[in-house]
Amino acid sequence: MLIKDAPVIWEGLRSIICVYKPPSVTCERVRKTIIAAVCKGLNEMECRPPVDFVCIEGNPSGKLTVSVKPSLADDPLVVGPRYIHDDLKCSWSNFLGFNTSGVLLLGLGKGTKVAKLIRENRPTRCYRLSGKLGEATDNAFKDGKVVERTTWRHVKLENMNRFLATLQASHQKEMFKSCGIDLQSEEAYKLACQGPIRPANSKLPVIYGIKCVKFEPPEFVIEIQCINEYETYLRSLIHEIGMKLHSSAHCTAIQCIRHSYFTVENALLRKHWTLQDIITNMEQCIQIMDEHENIIRQKSAALQ
Amino acid sequence: MLNHLKRVIYLEKCPRGRFMSVKRKYPIDRDEAKSLPVFDYGTSKKSYKRVFVWGNLMSGALGIPYLRRNENVMHRETVDIPKRLGFAEKFPVTTAACGFGFTAFGVDTESEDKLYGTGLNTDSQIGRHEVRQGHPLEIIYFPQAIKLPLKNPTKTRIRKLAAGRAHLVVLTDEGLFLLGNNAYGQCGREIIQDENYFLSNYINHIPDIDSKKVTDIECGQDHTLAVTDDGAVYSCGWGADGQTGLGTFDNTSAFTRITGEIESEKIVKISSRSDFALALNDRGEVFGWGNAEYDQIPTINNEQQVSNPVHLKHLKVGKVVDVAAGGSFCLALNEHGEVFVWGYGLVLGGPKAEQTSRPRKLPEVLFGRNDFQPNNRVVQVACGLSYAMAVTSLGDVYAWGRNMRGCLGLGFANDQNFPFKVALGGYASKVFCGYDHTVALCKPFI
Repeated sequence: MLIKDAPVIWEGLRSIICVYKPPSVTCERVRKTIIAAVCKGLNEMECRPPVDFVCIEGNPSGKLTVSVKPSLADDPLVVGPRYIHDDLKCSWSNFLGFNTSGVLLLGLGKGTKVAKLIRENRPTRCYRLSGKLGEATDNAFKDGKVVERTTWRHVKLENMNRFLATLQASHQKEMFKSCGIDLQSEEAYKLACQGPIRPANSKLPVIYGIKCVKFEPPEFVIEIQCINEYETYLRSLIHEIGMKLHSSAHCTAIQCIRHSYFTVENALLRKHWTLQDIITNMEQCIQIMDEHENIIRQKSAALQ
Repeated sequence: MLNHLKRVIYLEKCPRGRFMSVKRKYPIDRDEAKSLPVFDYGTSKKSYKRVFVWGNLMSGALGIPYLRRNENVMHRETVDIPKRLGFAEKFPVTTAACGFGFTAFGVDTESEDKLYGTGLNTDSQIGRHEVRQGHPLEIIYFPQAIKLPLKNPTKTRIRKLAAGRAHLVVLTDEGLFLLGNNAYGQCGREIIQDENYFLSNYINHIPDIDSKKVTDIECGQDHTLAVTDDGAVYSCGWGADGQTGLGTFDNTSAFTRITGEIESEKIVKISSRSDFALALNDRGEVFGWGNAEYDQIPTINNEQQVSNPVHLKHLKVGKVVDVAAGGSFCLALNEHGEVFVWGYGLVLGGPKAEQTSRPRKLPEVLFGRNDFQPNNRVVQVACGLSYAMAVTSLGDVYAWGRNMRGCLGLGFANDQNFPFKVALGGYASKVFCGYDHTVALCKPFI
């Protein structure tokens, strides 16, 4: 890093970063870790010197001497480090659950506004869900209590593919109902001719694409493009797929591999959560956002 | 601090030594899972088909008991989402037909009962069913067996069913059986003045037409069309709008060969729901006749009735593989899975669509083809009197048109002017549309 001045870097924190959230960690913890890493990095740089203290010394009846020296009251050793955790604003644009790993977008400093805009635009996210047939657990995840065991050898890849296709078509219709448009109108017809659209509501999960990418029974991996999903929903989806295939299934891993245009390749791994890498990553993210303007500004309800 | 300690103790208890997403009062005993029994839900039988019905409940055509308002608080007059038919869980339904307020099911069993009917029975169109002598039932709410005078009742199979306003045509291995109203000669027998169809139980049997085997049948509102194995089309019944295609506007009471432009063609499919008929030949060309007042056929001097089959040369939509003719509109499906509509009505797509004789292509996006499922295409089109249905290669059903008593099955009562997916619990293989109810034959998911 060529810049050695901490305030310059601080002013530069006005965009989003893309980090890789490990599983079994909450989003809040990731956020705190990032804040701590940024503050630590900033404090190690050349920070603002203490403010001047004007010192008037001497006998008031005699001659007074005026001298200017650094204020001890503003010394980092007295008031603590220049950059503390509460100063840095940081918010996520997509919440990932405890067991989910993958791409997490965090807005830093003034970038929280950008994170909010991305969140409200409802871009699609892509997940890889690993499941295992034959066992159903009480929380539909591998750490739950096994409540039912079933046979799974009758489930073939074509059964899985065909069911997923039906599921997908049903969801694409559901998105129309939730887009908040009058189905009788000409606008609805024009919108329908454009293809998939984004929902107006932020509550209802909508699946756009779902396919099986790996099928080695009893294990399988499905890839899913969706909006408004949450971890429990994805887990119950695996559970439902198991039930509909006359078997049972639970989820073994959830990985978010894409969030709008940010993929796993752009995501910063845990070992790289340092100020230097965070700044580099932020520049990459700004570049991606410049290339695709629709990340922040959307003109139509059609899916892009 | 105490919380931290608790957590440390908890982690030690945890058998896998990792964080858990759910806090539990008692730790999970992993060995307990191994003692659980293994359930086997298996796969469905190959012949098993799920049947879904929706639409008007009052006529009894859905095979679901309808209770009057004063009999039940939870009273309903329509079923606007697909409902699974319990009858089909007992009998392997192979084909069905929807008429105007009644439904017939063909089943493939070892027993003598191969044909079942439910709904309105005002003209004995689903056979005579009486609880006491001389008083036949006018409405049947649950599928009842219809006895056909078959020579070999256990071996004969039902090939196809077709139903009109008040008559039913059954195509079996032993030929045609025609039941119900014959006021216009639609049952292929002589018209008897003032015949009481309600009390009669006459089933007309036609083993073959011109000593040729019948391969396909279709019923319009009050006329019947039949295709024989050499591709010739025969018709009988009401001809006031030229729907029999025989060059006259009189009623015909015996199957007569249709000439006109289809005389030398090999017809493979015919479709007629009301008073207009479409025929498809083996080269994918479309012919039409009947009531053309909604521009189904562009005529030179604006004739409204066309009594001779006309080759629809103006379509130019490529090789057509499926056609459907509704009351005021026509649908054609070409080999690329593109759906074309012409005529008049809500089915044309969009609230601003106007009457047209030029085929209008409905975008494939509306039938679920998009970036996420690029190979999805329409494989079958069907239509009721004022609504249409399309079945795609993924087994989805798309419905649009006038939503008469919930016959679209979309879960709401409004009309729908572009295709919208029907939520079905299976892969649809065939859809049958009536006047205000629909039946879908589906394969189970596994």
